[in-house]
Amino acid sequence: MRRTLLATLVASTFATAANATDPADLERRVDQLSGEIAALKAEIARMKAEKATAPVPAAAATPAAVPAKPAAIDIARATGEAPKMYEEAEKTTFFGYGELNYYRPTHDTSNTTADAARVVLGFEHRWNDRTRLVTELEWEHAVTSFDDQGESEVEQAYVEYQVNQNLSTKMGLFLIPVGLLNEHHEPTQYYGVARNFVETAIIPTTWREGGLLLHGNLDSGLSWDAGISTGFDLSKWDATSADGRESPLGSIHQELQLAKAKDLSGFGALNYRGVPGLLVGASIFSGGAAQGTPDFPSPDARVTLWDVHARWTPGAWDFAALYTRGHISDTAAFNLTLVGNPTLVPEDFFGWYVSGAYKLWSKDEMSLTPFARYERYNTGWKYATLPAGLTPDALPTEGVWTGGVNFNLNPSVVIKMDYQKFKEDTTRDRFDLGVGYQF
Amino acid sequence: MPRRLDSSAWFLVPVALVAAAPAGAMQYLKVEDARKLAFPQADAFEPYAYAPTTEQRAAIDRAAHARATVGDPMIWRVSAAGQPAGWFIVDNVIGKVERITYAVALGRDGTVRSIEILDYRETHGYEVRNPAWRRQFEGKSARAPLELGDDIKNISGATLSCRHLTDGVRRLLEIHDVVLK
Repeated sequence: MRRTLLATLVASTFATAANATDPADLERRVDQLSGEIAALKAEIARMKAEKATAPVPAAAATPAAVPAKPAAIDIARATGEAPKMYEEAEKTTFFGYGELNYYRPTHDTSNTTADAARVVLGFEHRWNDRTRLVTELEWEHAVTSFDDQGESEVEQAYVEYQVNQNLSTKMGLFLIPVGLLNEHHEPTQYYGVARNFVETAIIPTTWREGGLLLHGNLDSGLSWDAGISTGFDLSKWDATSADGRESPLGSIHQELQLAKAKDLSGFGALNYRGVPGLLVGASIFSGGAAQGTPDFPSPDARVTLWDVHARWTPGAWDFAALYTRGHISDTAAFNLTLVGNPTLVPEDFFGWYVSGAYKLWSKDEMSLTPFARYERYNTGWKYATLPAGLTPDALPTEGVWTGGVNFNLNPSVVIKMDYQKFKEDTTRDRFDLGVGYQF
Repeated sequence: MPRRLDSSAWFLVPVALVAAAPAGAMQYLKVEDARKLAFPQADAFEPYAYAPTTEQRAAIDRAAHARATVGDPMIWRVSAAGQPAGWFIVDNVIGKVERITYAVALGRDGTVRSIEILDYRETHGYEVRNPAWRRQFEGKSARAPLELGDDIKNISGATLSCRHLTDGVRRLLEIHDVVLK
């Protein structure tokens, strides 16, 4: 196409020059001709250069992401016509993240551990501009076997369909849109070696369910999510273990592992990003948790969790705040059957945190960002009232100060260091060190 | 919200959505429309053969201090009533793994008049389409830092797209200074 165009241009220019008789006119046309030859030279040089240097992707780690330049763009460049937008070819891209950490309790160094906390590999396959598959596979704690503590998980597996430019839908196993961390949980996205306690103990990050999600966004910067999904299974509650005290919802989530799905849950979220640097949002999730389990003493048990969150990044500062609260209804009858065990089902649990970070230094892609965070949370704030003397006492509200620094080798690789100080259980005070990456 | 939902009915929702959607690729804005939007008074868009010398390319890379975008941009010289009015440039950057096709309109003085997102293919980060975010670039020239987290504020959850678009615009402004000016 381009070759034909050049040939036509050259031919027509020579034809025009040959017809000229007047010397001044001839001179003018020779000038014009030299101009055109210079332009052709430039075009040929550019074509050569383009051939010699294959397109370089902005993200070096994703060579598979850059297909050959589509013909429409070349035609457009040669003809000056506005290019027709094209459908990209079907393609598969790999991505992943990982975090390898070292925790040293300062009052009990015998509990010091080093852990390949998470290694995640994912791939995205796009069939066309509208339809794609996202799959994320995760290994936690390095080794998974009969006598090891590791886990291997399918963290996400969903088909996304773009209905129009303001509406998309996800079907399958996806992350619940809640809080600041759950959907953006890669180690490069937060401060400190470990994820914050509130979005681990109260919001069970990484929290995913199977179902259908609708996502919409408006030009004003407002986006919304609404969906229906699997939920929690309260019959899984293990009153003999401390798991439910560490994270009530984390101990009864199902992660789409042969999930009991008689009771579906509904959820929704609103997020506003209309002012650059600002995010303000809220979410709610609610659904039955008895799952029709035969003879379950609390057949109407329902889990509800909501949160409000904000993040503000004016220049080098990065502030975040979040409040979340969970409620499990109709737990009295079930708890009555568990009396005498260490961990009963809480009726209410909550947490909040505020954090601030400041990019102190940066050079090229490197940066150094000290931060501080204060959080308070209680996984057993209130219990349903049981007959005289049987209602468990509320747990104390834990408070944690975390101070440290994120050092980025580049935006996708981070080395972290922090110290965590606990208000209630001071035996947990610890020093953390970690490396995290994302690609 | 009803306490228990009959699951079977919900499976019809995606079917209805798919059926309701028009066929064809996702595209937010056509190049022709973006040109008109950026230069409503213009009467000519003359294609410009972008062919920097090796030295010019090196100078652009150095000044833009960001890795190259996807291939070379397409550039048009814009005129209105026979007078030069500026430049219209269509370029691609990678968001996280997919291309973002965007258009930058430059005034005669090489400052940004407007930015439009023409095509966005990523699962996340589409918030860069937000007009308030794009308006941050207006009036910027190659003399501006154009750094995310400095003179360009980030969008939480869309950091990669924000960063790579900011890098892309900075590069186009250097191209203007080195080659087009």
